[in-house]
Amino acid sequence: MSATAKSADAMLPVPAKSVAPAEPWRRRVLRRLLYGHDVNRVAKARARVGLAIVAFAVVYGIIAARLIMFAVVSDSRVAHRVVSGDAIATARPDILDRNGEVLATDVRVPSLYAEPRRLIDVDEAVEMLTADLPDLDASELRERLASRRGFVWLKRDINPEQQREIYRQGLPGIGFLNENKRAYPNGAEVSHLIGRVDIDNQGTAGIERWLDNQGLAALHLAGLATDRLQTPVELAVDLRVQHALRDELAKAREKFKAIASAGLVLNVRTGEIVAMVSEPDYDPNVPHNPRDPSLINRLTTGVYEMGSTFKAFTVAMGLDSGKVTLKSSFDAHNPLHYGKFDIHDFEPMQRSLTVPEIFTYSSNIGAARIAMAMGIDAHKAFLKKLGQLDRLRTELPESAEPIVPKRWGELNTITIAFGHGLSVAPLQAVMGVGALMNGGILIPPTFLKRAEADAQALGKRVIKPETSLLMRYLMRLNVEKGTAGKAEVAGYYIGGKTGTADKVVFGRYSKTRVLTDFMAVLPADQPHYLLLIMLDEPKALPETHGFTTSGWNAVPTGGAVVARIAPLLGIEPRLDLPPADQLILASMKESR
Amino acid sequence: MIFRVFNIVVIGALILAAAYVYRIKFDSTVQAEHLAKLRTELRKERDRIASLRAQWGELDNPARIQALANRFLQLKPMAPTQFDNLDRLPERPPDDAHAANDDPIAGVIGNLEPPEAVTGTIPPAAGVLPPPQSSGNQSGAPNQ
Repeated sequence: MSATAKSADAMLPVPAKSVAPAEPWRRRVLRRLLYGHDVNRVAKARARVGLAIVAFAVVYGIIAARLIMFAVVSDSRVAHRVVSGDAIATARPDILDRNGEVLATDVRVPSLYAEPRRLIDVDEAVEMLTADLPDLDASELRERLASRRGFVWLKRDINPEQQREIYRQGLPGIGFLNENKRAYPNGAEVSHLIGRVDIDNQGTAGIERWLDNQGLAALHLAGLATDRLQTPVELAVDLRVQHALRDELAKAREKFKAIASAGLVLNVRTGEIVAMVSEPDYDPNVPHNPRDPSLINRLTTGVYEMGSTFKAFTVAMGLDSGKVTLKSSFDAHNPLHYGKFDIHDFEPMQRSLTVPEIFTYSSNIGAARIAMAMGIDAHKAFLKKLGQLDRLRTELPESAEPIVPKRWGELNTITIAFGHGLSVAPLQAVMGVGALMNGGILIPPTFLKRAEADAQALGKRVIKPETSLLMRYLMRLNVEKGTAGKAEVAGYYIGGKTGTADKVVFGRYSKTRVLTDFMAVLPADQPHYLLLIMLDEPKALPETHGFTTSGWNAVPTGGAVVARIAPLLGIEPRLDLPPADQLILASMKESR
Repeated sequence: MIFRVFNIVVIGALILAAAYVYRIKFDSTVQAEHLAKLRTELRKERDRIASLRAQWGELDNPARIQALANRFLQLKPMAPTQFDNLDRLPERPPDDAHAANDDPIAGVIGNLEPPEAVTGTIPPAAGVLPPPQSSGNQSGAPNQ
């Protein structure tokens, strides 16, 4: 640039000097008209040349910048085009169980599409495609191909053999796109927990929906989730335990002809949900009606009166207040009259009962008397503290509000003391009982992996450690002497509480339709896991002697489940342990 | 004169630089294509791994294994009484190892089945087990 400027400088004065004297007059006039009298033409010419230099510099600069841009940007743009031509941007992360087993993953499946504008012979195409894909509707296919649109889907998710056949026909205007499809290798095994996705790979239920709410949906919308997402989601669930639980529950449901069965295994030290089954369930690989009411997740979406398992809360409340001790006794001679209601015991004892007796005989009268001794406000506050009166939110999008009486009078306290009149989600009750067992710390349950230290930081103390110890003793005693005897599996030191709730049918309590449940803690002296078994409307069998109470159906099921899952959970069998009053109560005296 | 030489040198340098830049650009294009190819391959491999893992998960599904085990195996679920600690394992019987022999396994076999033992179907001459003394050249023994 500077070289040209210099030469322009050198050249300009020359014509100016030579032209000035020998100028014809007409030209001079013209020049005057154009430029005026006293214009320094040399200066002006220099300015113009400068302007031209600047203009050229700008143009060349732009060209150079553009060249650099092309050199730098072009590669990445090409790569991007390849990816988006291949996949629809709906990749989802893998979901693994706690041992790394695949619960959900993306697989690429070819989908068939057509570009009707490029088709030559519609009839031929229809004929050949229906030959390979017999389940395609011919008339609909013809209609789609005859439309002059640029792009139509013909069939999503075809198998590789079909793809090969169609490819071999060489039809113009027919092509394949690889799409991500969600695959659930374990089928119905983890259905309620993991949820499912719709045809566009968007989560519609369970953990899949939760993933979308964590920002995945936004990624999908922006079209950014193209490649396989690298970090898989690890759940707390153990597939082996889940399977054992589901298998036993399915057997129990068949045996007792129950409408539904449900079960849950909670790690009481971390709040992790190790297994959760609500039967009947569904295969998430197969599309079905998501509104089918028989397929709800009974543990989180359903609310139930839990029956006598709630007595654990009542007794714990009494013991924790210090007003009630194991030695206290309550009058259970006669049914408890309140207004026009009579509270009966299932097996009336007609005498005063001590607290362990109330717990092991599952005395309604006794539980009601403990709650009355505590008072309405204390009862309400205690259940609130244990999270039984508020909606429990977990990762699962499905949750249900407990049904709490609007006006909580003395009668409510009496019935809630033995588990009627307050409907909670079973998961919620498990969380509460877990807090009674683990030393008194309420830990919000989670479906994701969680370390014990994190759980301790999250949890809040709700009862004293001594109360928790007494509750463990009572739970164990109930298996040794009480209603949960059939759950005993030698070596695992199970503790448990049964519950049988009359179901409300047409606004009144039914005498025949019941919901039975059983909460088992194992091992009772150092609780690690809490198991819930729930059966909806089990029927009486000859071998249950006509009973439908929990002790005859949910409890043996619980025992069978424990025998199967305890080795999987790494619980060592100890065959020569002393009874509860020596092992658990003695440790309490030692610590004092 | 000096100017002309200088110009020629500059022009030559320019041509060299242009050729060099062209080569770099060409190489980088080749590399970029290679990279894109590898990426595609990687993605395909990953997809393939995912689909194999899905298949493996399907085959490894506990429900399927249980059904197969019920059909083909005589195994039963383990009872709590079948677990025990290693430190409660009884001591090994002292006479198991043949004191005279160097090879303890051969000694055990010799102990289990003395050479003079005659089974019902096999004549003693064609005995399956060679006597413990000849266990050193066992590889040749079965053909005799």
